[in-house]
Amino acid sequence: MPDGARPDSLRELTEPEFVARYGAGRFTCGVLANRGRYVAEHICTALLHRAFSPIITFSQDFVGAIVGPPEQGYPLTAVNKGNVIFLGSMSTGVRNTVHEFGIERLAPGDLLICNDPFRVGNHVNDLCFIRPVFHAGAIVSFVVIRAHQLDMGGAIPGGFSLMKTSVYDNGLVLGPQLIFQRDRPVKETLRIILDNTRFGETLLPDFYTIRSCCALGERLLQDSIERYGITAYTGAIRYNIDASAAAMQDALEALPDGDWSGCDEVDSDGIDADETYRLVVHLRKRGARLEVDLSGTSRQARTALNATALDAQTAVALAVKLALDPYTPFTSGLYRNIDVVIPDGSVTSARPDAAVMFYFEVQSALVNAILRALAAPLGSRAIGGAYGSTNLHTGAGFNPDGTPWFSAAELEAQYGAWGATDTGDGNNHSGLAMLNMIMPSVEEIEPRVPALILHREYLPDTAGPGTHRGGAGLLKQSVFLSAGDHYLVPLHFRTPSGGGVHGGGDGRVGGAWFFTASNADDRTPVTGSDIPDTDDFGTATVIAGTVDPHTGKLTADGEFAFFGRRPVWREGRGAVLRWITNGGGGWSDPLARDPEAVKRDVRDEYVSITGARRDYGVCVVGDPLTDPEGLVVDLAETARLRRDLAARRTPR
Amino acid sequence: MTHAAMIGVDVGGTFTDVVAVRDGVIETVKIATDLIDSARGVLSGADTIGVADATMFNHASTAGLNALLTRRLPKVGLLCTAGHRDVLDIGQNWRPAEAVSDPRWRRSFGDAARPLVPRYLRRGVRERIAADGTVFIPLDVEQARGQIRILGRCAVDGIAICLLNAYVCAAHEETLRELVRAELGDVLCVVSSEVSPLAREYQRTSTTVIDAMMGIIYRAYSDRLVGGLRELGFNGRLNYADSAAMLAPVDIAMARPSRVIFSGPAAGTNASAHFGALIDDGHLLCADVGGTSTDVSVVIAGRPIVDNQIELEHDLLVSTLSTQITSVGAGGGSIVYSGPSGEIGVGPQSAGADPGPACYAQGGAQPTLTDACLLIGILDESRFAGGARRLDVARAEAAFCALDTPLDFSARVRHAFDIGLHNIAEGIVDITIRNGLDPREYSLVAYGAAGPMLLPSLLDLVQARRVIVPPHPGLFSALGLLSADLVFMESRSHYLPLAGDSAQLIDAIYSELDAAVCAQLGDRDEARFHRSFDARMTGQAYETAFIDAPAGTIGAAEVERMIATFHDVYALRAGNRFPEVPLQAVTFRVQATLTTAKARFPVLDRRTAGAPTAVREVELRHLASAPYPCAEYARSELACDDQIAGPAIVREPLSTTFVPPAHGLTVGRYGELIIAARDDHA
Repeated sequence: MPDGARPDSLRELTEPEFVARYGAGRFTCGVLANRGRYVAEHICTALLHRAFSPIITFSQDFVGAIVGPPEQGYPLTAVNKGNVIFLGSMSTGVRNTVHEFGIERLAPGDLLICNDPFRVGNHVNDLCFIRPVFHAGAIVSFVVIRAHQLDMGGAIPGGFSLMKTSVYDNGLVLGPQLIFQRDRPVKETLRIILDNTRFGETLLPDFYTIRSCCALGERLLQDSIERYGITAYTGAIRYNIDASAAAMQDALEALPDGDWSGCDEVDSDGIDADETYRLVVHLRKRGARLEVDLSGTSRQARTALNATALDAQTAVALAVKLALDPYTPFTSGLYRNIDVVIPDGSVTSARPDAAVMFYFEVQSALVNAILRALAAPLGSRAIGGAYGSTNLHTGAGFNPDGTPWFSAAELEAQYGAWGATDTGDGNNHSGLAMLNMIMPSVEEIEPRVPALILHREYLPDTAGPGTHRGGAGLLKQSVFLSAGDHYLVPLHFRTPSGGGVHGGGDGRVGGAWFFTASNADDRTPVTGSDIPDTDDFGTATVIAGTVDPHTGKLTADGEFAFFGRRPVWREGRGAVLRWITNGGGGWSDPLARDPEAVKRDVRDEYVSITGARRDYGVCVVGDPLTDPEGLVVDLAETARLRRDLAARRTPR
Repeated sequence: MTHAAMIGVDVGGTFTDVVAVRDGVIETVKIATDLIDSARGVLSGADTIGVADATMFNHASTAGLNALLTRRLPKVGLLCTAGHRDVLDIGQNWRPAEAVSDPRWRRSFGDAARPLVPRYLRRGVRERIAADGTVFIPLDVEQARGQIRILGRCAVDGIAICLLNAYVCAAHEETLRELVRAELGDVLCVVSSEVSPLAREYQRTSTTVIDAMMGIIYRAYSDRLVGGLRELGFNGRLNYADSAAMLAPVDIAMARPSRVIFSGPAAGTNASAHFGALIDDGHLLCADVGGTSTDVSVVIAGRPIVDNQIELEHDLLVSTLSTQITSVGAGGGSIVYSGPSGEIGVGPQSAGADPGPACYAQGGAQPTLTDACLLIGILDESRFAGGARRLDVARAEAAFCALDTPLDFSARVRHAFDIGLHNIAEGIVDITIRNGLDPREYSLVAYGAAGPMLLPSLLDLVQARRVIVPPHPGLFSALGLLSADLVFMESRSHYLPLAGDSAQLIDAIYSELDAAVCAQLGDRDEARFHRSFDARMTGQAYETAFIDAPAGTIGAAEVERMIATFHDVYALRAGNRFPEVPLQAVTFRVQATLTTAKARFPVLDRRTAGAPTAVREVELRHLASAPYPCAEYARSELACDDQIAGPAIVREPLSTTFVPPAHGLTVGRYGELIIAARDDHA
């Protein structure tokens, strides 16, 4: 627990007491806290609009943050609307980096970097840029940008290979060092990076742009200090941390005491199909405190699936926040009343020789496990599960004219459905809870990558049924116009990720397929007639998912296809990559869903006429394909269906 | 000599403001907006003010914007590439800052919330064009015909067509439009390759769909307006203001109706720029404080900043030229609440016009900024809106008493006032940061009904040079419609390397654009031509917009100049220079501006002797540890060069100006009130 006043009395403080504690009144503290968030947002808007790297400018895989001074324990006080994956490790990561570099060696205008997962969390591509903000010779804050770099060296372009087995083939590890000193580039650092990474022509201008964005952040913070004084500035940081700690404390106190457990799993670490990686959580809640114990979680993976303890910390904070206090801005104060027990050498806390790359997949399953554990005490406030995995794809190869091509995190099914809640149906398309990224448009990808994205469209009867329906599963399909190597990481197609809650049903589990072109040579052009129908699965090779071995179609009692049986999928021209993502979980009894809402779902092809009968007990009459407005609900038949379905249920 | 009259009409969500300039005199009419039939309201306003002698009737409206925000929309079908009907549900995928960790968040325009076009009206057509413009899957005409017939069966009011990569090759979109014509006759039909031929299918689809919707909303309305005005004897020209406050003849504006969606707010910025020119002040921060929000914009060296995209809700985008405006959820009706640690917060929730602030006694129980101003004494219970509405102090008090906070009553009111000011200030700071401006060089123009009451008190917060309260602050946006120029514009998006090799192609594009603008201009030969372009460095996703391009023939030397100008502009805006990175041009633009007659503000006489006298003294409460007295003046009795020391209140029928302590007010040549810190005031 960071130093700080007991937050429980924040509301009761008189104004003079408040001023005595924070060096400024409620008004000024509120203003300064708000300003910090504005500053974080501004530096990120500038970076988004000026970056060269597609993963920054098209996808927004970065975050901007303000971290408080060393004597307050480097608290994270403000962030922009970027990726939550970076937040839980921000305070510790900045502290580790600054301490190891030597705080006394920092000067105004310096930009410190570090990317070591064991020092700053996340993976080596997520370079952490730290600019100290000085006032009267002392550091009073840090402006931080954590931004995914397109490449950090290592075995494959972009680094998204699950099959890396040690830290040494994972990519370039950069300990704490300066990349800019007093606003001048440090050439030795730039050389180390540019000599060991791909796409230097993209990385280099981005480094300059990131420096100017951090400098903008500092200028804005200096304006605040000048206007409100340093006492108010630092006091407001303490207030901001205390306020979010107080909000979480209130939320915890509102939850009944109890012990709950939850579990989710990652399909495999890529070595074999026998071992699933289980994320096990035991929650013990007493009064205003919560213990999150990860004992029982699977061992450290043999591949790059791993996360560090810093990443586990992020996932725990986020999951508890999602469930209990979604609206208070994210700060370090959020952790004050939460204890996390992380067993050593587990997939959530790999040791420093391990390859750490797909930590976000571990985070996703961990968030899901915690939400499942909290479903019981939350009751009707429980949150349906989401689509589960980013299913990452990296592709690289040569075009027929000999030029190389490369694509990372664009042609997979990285986004998908959210679960339903008490307030309504789930979103169909969003990032996992830890991700808040922009999806690159088809028209931005296709001029750079020899592929056509043929489908990004929802499938009927994939959403978890409920009084409120989960988001729908997505069919995503691309055809490759050049041969290449494909690295595929689908990690949640064995069991449902989109669990139903409060009586709602699970979202359907998806899968992935490759269709190999029949004339896959470099001379025959690929044409539209080579594309398989969307209901054709029989001619495909199943990459992942539980399918009927004869038809290749998804079926709950089929055989599980293990993606790792081919570490690299080498495909010729005309190959078609197909994904179906998991549906989101439903909320509450589907038999209580308004029949008119079910009819609208049939009209909109989220639910088929058959699905409406089977999952909702609603008889919709008509043809949604040709006469969508002509559908009617047969009320008498609906009443009968619902009676029968209710009677057939196994008593709980 | 009698000058012909000019009329400006700004249709807002609550009020329709009508202004006329006749013989150099400004006349104003404020009427309630007719929400059922806004043309009827406009015509009745026109009748009241008289249009038979007018040469020009300039119009702005928020009707289309409000229809979008409330989803009271016409039924539009979308034809898209098969496999991509969910582009409109996905948007750009990201969540707003306040929903980053909110599992209950739903995309406001997604299918799980309030879609613009329900999924069954988004129909996929079998076809596919590749990024290089070649046909990958030929258009399946029979399948397309089937989809169009289904939309016909659903009786859509219009059809939007947006196919993948149509910004490179429009052939399939054009064929589809012919099929729509053949199947459904003259139903309104728009294609993306004409509306907004830019990469990124989501932005192009949303723009095309919104263009179709605005077409349906505004075209019938325009016809009624044209007919109605003719019946009232109007023989002049009807112009629409667009989202960048450029006037366009009604027929040209209605050819691309998405461009008028933000016309109301833009007109206010334009009014500020015009008034600034009169008083020789070209550096302005413009703040229009309404009931629910404050629209902030900036004028640099006499010109408003123009963007090429508007965000209507989080991630709901329209690609069109638009005055850059930051909207902050803080206005006179913003609701005051107490937060988790007992602190006071304001907005973004608003009591709006109904039920309105607690003091309106229309059922609103929550306190608002207007209630705070009443309790402080800035507003007067019997003189609000020229005495048209009596305010209920007891209800305002009760609303503040009901807040759950340890703060005492005075602190509640003071904090509400200060936080409300601060929220507005953030919007102002936001736009100065975004544009790299130093607010100390800028005057803050205060308008909208609540602007003059609030903005002078935040001079210290935003560190602006001074506040200017123009004449008629409550109707100032409508005056902006009589301060604009007719602009004829053509643009062409074409992704090509900005290099000497492209000179011939660029020259051909500019020549075609020149010719197209000339065709619009007809026999108007006084126009000033201006060329600009948008470009980016290879690898960047976002363009740097509005870079000047040379007139005349474009050869290799001119392209070199364009490249050099790009790098200079980029260095100025972004702080870095990367001259080694090749450039890609995206959009080329030609504008022809026709200087148009503008509103003139009468010059105020100087006082021959003495000083302005206060009409009464009021007591201001809660702002300081003890109440203090404050002189109240009537604006109509002030003369040029009058000086008044704060604290002071200046009342006029539709607005109240509050000059805080330690500030002073000077009356300018046109009756504008100039408020500055007392030290700078002398």
